[in-house]
Amino acid sequence: MENNLNGRQLLQAVDEASFYMQDLKLYLDTHPNDTVAIGMFKEAAKQYKACKEAFECACYPLNAEASRDEECWDWLMGAWPPQKL
Amino acid sequence: MFIFEKRTQIPVRINNKNPRLAGIILSQYGGPDGELSASLRYLSQRFSMPDNMGIGVLTDIGTEELAHLEIVGSIVSQLTSGEGAKSFDRYGVGDYYVDHSNAVYPQNAAGAPFTAAYLQSKGDPIADITEDLAAEQKARATYDNILRLSDDPDVNNVIRFLREREVVHFQRFGDTMLTKLKAIIMKKKHC
Repeated sequence: MENNLNGRQLLQAVDEASFYMQDLKLYLDTHPNDTVAIGMFKEAAKQYKACKEAFECACYPLNAEASRDEECWDWLMGAWPPQKL
Repeated sequence: MFIFEKRTQIPVRINNKNPRLAGIILSQYGGPDGELSASLRYLSQRFSMPDNMGIGVLTDIGTEELAHLEIVGSIVSQLTSGEGAKSFDRYGVGDYYVDHSNAVYPQNAAGAPFTAAYLQSKGDPIADITEDLAAEQKARATYDNILRLSDDPDVNNVIRFLREREVVHFQRFGDTMLTKLKAIIMKKKHC
């Protein structure tokens, strides 16, 4: 249970960073010359990458290419939507 | 190219079961103003968009709509998982159970299956973006109706997020339209 709570927090960090990045991406699509927003996007992308890696280290891969286990196909592990973490 | 991530855009954690509410929310899965309709509309229209801004906006919003389709499907699934025939019948949705049991099927709230007739891909950028602006408002209005019909806080939190995204997408399509109209006016001035 404690592990799940920690996993939820780490996943929430991925969700938040990814959402921040998505919202900036849509904004930049229609405001491609906003250099401040471009800087914010780059920062968000870094944050997302770091959060995703932290979650995957502690829990399970979010993409197949993030698979780490050499003994078993760990891509199948974890909560597939609509399963709850 | 699409890449799947094993998570929903925001967490979906519904604690109560309610097959009747699931049947209402299903309209945003396979109904006229639902997420399947939205994603297919934008991801089809992008093929005939003449400029990279139009293509980019349609691709990125269309892709986010696929993530929303997954969220709506997850709500429906969690509201009905483990419920048997008797429960569906008690909630007044035995007719859904007889055809689909606990599965998620793309149909509207009244049971009409999804159809591509819900959307248009016209090949005229002004016509297509105008349809997209309306589509976002129709989806927003449907989410408003769902919030009027639902008193489940776990469901409503997620529905409020989806409703807000319709407003943001409307804004982005509006900016795309303004940019297109400005370009047309500038071209006319130089002729």
